[in-house]
Amino acid sequence: MVVEILFEEVCGLYGDGQNVNYLQATLPQAQFVRTALTDEPYFAEHTPDLIYIGSMSERIQRRVIEKLRPYTARLEELVEKDVPILATGNAGEIFCKHITYKTEETEIDGLGLVDLTVETDYFNRYNGKVLADFEGMEIVGFRSQFSFMQGDNSKNYFLQVRRGDGLNKKSKLEGFRVHNLIGTNLLGPILPLNPLFCEYFVGLSGAQAEAAFKDEAMDAYRQRVKEFSDPEVKF
Amino acid sequence: MKIKYFVALYVAKSAQTAMRLLGRNATFLPGKLAEKLCKNFLSYMTPPKTVIAVTGTNGKTTVSNLLTSILQDNGYSVTNNSFGSNVQAGIISALVADTKLSGKPKKDIAVLEVDERSSLRIYPYMKPDYLLCNNLMRDSIKRNAHTEFIQFIVDKALPASTKLVLNADDMIASGLGTKGQERVHFGLEAEIPEATEPQHIRDIVYCPQCGELLQSQYVRYNHIGRHYCPKCGLKSPVPDYCITDIDRDKNTFTLRHGEESHTYNLINDNIVNAYNFCGAIAVLTEIGLTPEQISKGFADSKIVKTRYEQVDAGDLHITMLMAKGQNPIACARCYDYAAKVADPDKALLLIVDDKDDNIGNSESTCWLYDCDYRALKDASIRQIVFAGPRCKDHYLRALLAGVDAQKIRCMESAKDGANAIDTTVSKHIMVLFEMYRADEAAMVKKVLKDRGERGV
Repeated sequence: MVVEILFEEVCGLYGDGQNVNYLQATLPQAQFVRTALTDEPYFAEHTPDLIYIGSMSERIQRRVIEKLRPYTARLEELVEKDVPILATGNAGEIFCKHITYKTEETEIDGLGLVDLTVETDYFNRYNGKVLADFEGMEIVGFRSQFSFMQGDNSKNYFLQVRRGDGLNKKSKLEGFRVHNLIGTNLLGPILPLNPLFCEYFVGLSGAQAEAAFKDEAMDAYRQRVKEFSDPEVKF
Repeated sequence: MKIKYFVALYVAKSAQTAMRLLGRNATFLPGKLAEKLCKNFLSYMTPPKTVIAVTGTNGKTTVSNLLTSILQDNGYSVTNNSFGSNVQAGIISALVADTKLSGKPKKDIAVLEVDERSSLRIYPYMKPDYLLCNNLMRDSIKRNAHTEFIQFIVDKALPASTKLVLNADDMIASGLGTKGQERVHFGLEAEIPEATEPQHIRDIVYCPQCGELLQSQYVRYNHIGRHYCPKCGLKSPVPDYCITDIDRDKNTFTLRHGEESHTYNLINDNIVNAYNFCGAIAVLTEIGLTPEQISKGFADSKIVKTRYEQVDAGDLHITMLMAKGQNPIACARCYDYAAKVADPDKALLLIVDDKDDNIGNSESTCWLYDCDYRALKDASIRQIVFAGPRCKDHYLRALLAGVDAQKIRCMESAKDGANAIDTTVSKHIMVLFEMYRADEAAMVKKVLKDRGERGV
């Protein structure tokens, strides 16, 4: 089994980098290919079983898009082949059609695999929590972002939000899912925070594995689900 | 507008007096009031002759306190906000307190600790003569996002007239000053040892000018070190003020500036503080103090007790060390420091959850995963107790870092945490506490002292 981690050296803000370690602890036999911004992606010539990319700064985001642009058709092919790809924080935005950076007064076309647009504003930081449903699981997570995705994700959303916001403040449908390409604004340690989702994501590749430190992770997960479900806890 | 300013000044001063009579600090609200009554209040104030701003992710308070103390020791009168808030309202409050009814400043110098996020609300209106930036590192996810953002806003806010005193070993901080500002740099000699294992997070990896992968002459911690770009030639600046030696046996350090070297008293041997001391000396020298004047201040200074304290009780030795919750690098440096303290049987009590974020809320624990827990694996740490509402999250995080589950315990309250330590195993207990949980830290200290005195 091969897991490709894209640009870990710069796409691991907000604790996202530790999703990789959690995957590694969950899949101790897997080969982890860490593709740097200066490397040719492994997926260009091979088909990884899983791909992960985490949060990044806005400057890096533009660089990542330019890096991946020549591989757009190949990425599209992998998506069609149902290769599981997880993009957390603002990483999912690179797959959208267009990103406007309001503060820096610049804009860029994304990879266009998802029919959504993005607006980023340094002077409008958004923080939030999410309690959501996905495939019979309760998903918990955190958001901290300068950007919001805009558009209609009603046919390809990732999470049905119970508490918190979805794609934007008016929506209860969070992120997107196209085949097994999952983009979510939830950031940080989404996999250790959601061990059941970690098992689900790994399972999309056909592999079966128990989430690492499952008992301890489930303990923390249950406490968080309970807190997030408590009406006294503000959202 | 001037009338509006004076009305706001008098109201703020009255509020300050009233609050102090009621026994309150008056370090935030008067400033808030002044700003509400007079927009851009700061821009109408007459600043002291010299304004020094101290900013950066970690070490602001330590450096501000040190600067203030040494300046006062040398006969200067100083306005300082270190005991209050470091955002706009706190800075206005400190300045209002030291402004005469005529609007003239009472003090010679202002040493202002400035929150990076507040830069745009402060520097354009109260232009600092000197700005010291210790470091720009990953900080609160919610407020500070990432270092590129913080560097962007600090740089945007800085006036061209401000002389910059920057950490040469921090390529992000030393990247400030795109308006041609005059600058000096400070740093530590490469030979001064520190951890060299691969860093958990680095906030600068590629050249900010050309995008090439940076090469490192050495890395001291995180991105602190000396780097260069093999493509465009960008490199860490050479420090004008450089610590060339730290003698932990004699408790001294030597700093070279130009052709001269001077030895100073080492107030605290944490490497992070070496940078703080170096930056402070650079500023003091720039404003005209001699090494002798500065040295005298170093001999007298101590790290504030609320930040670092050692207590003996019976056969127990207790170290109280302030950590910063939600700040992954500051917290990791505390873990690292604790691991390196020479004692083979230490116990660590960690009370680092964000108190406010857990009241009617559920704290974002993303920062735990940016924080390097590997130091907690050190064999000299025999017991670890995580105390607080997020103890289960810390536990999982520690396991993922490879910490032995057998030495970890989780307790919901700080008091239970203090009682959970096995004092037959560990005689040295290090309590790392979040800065806003000082009240719980005091209670824990009392419990541990009591246990030490009673021998239980």
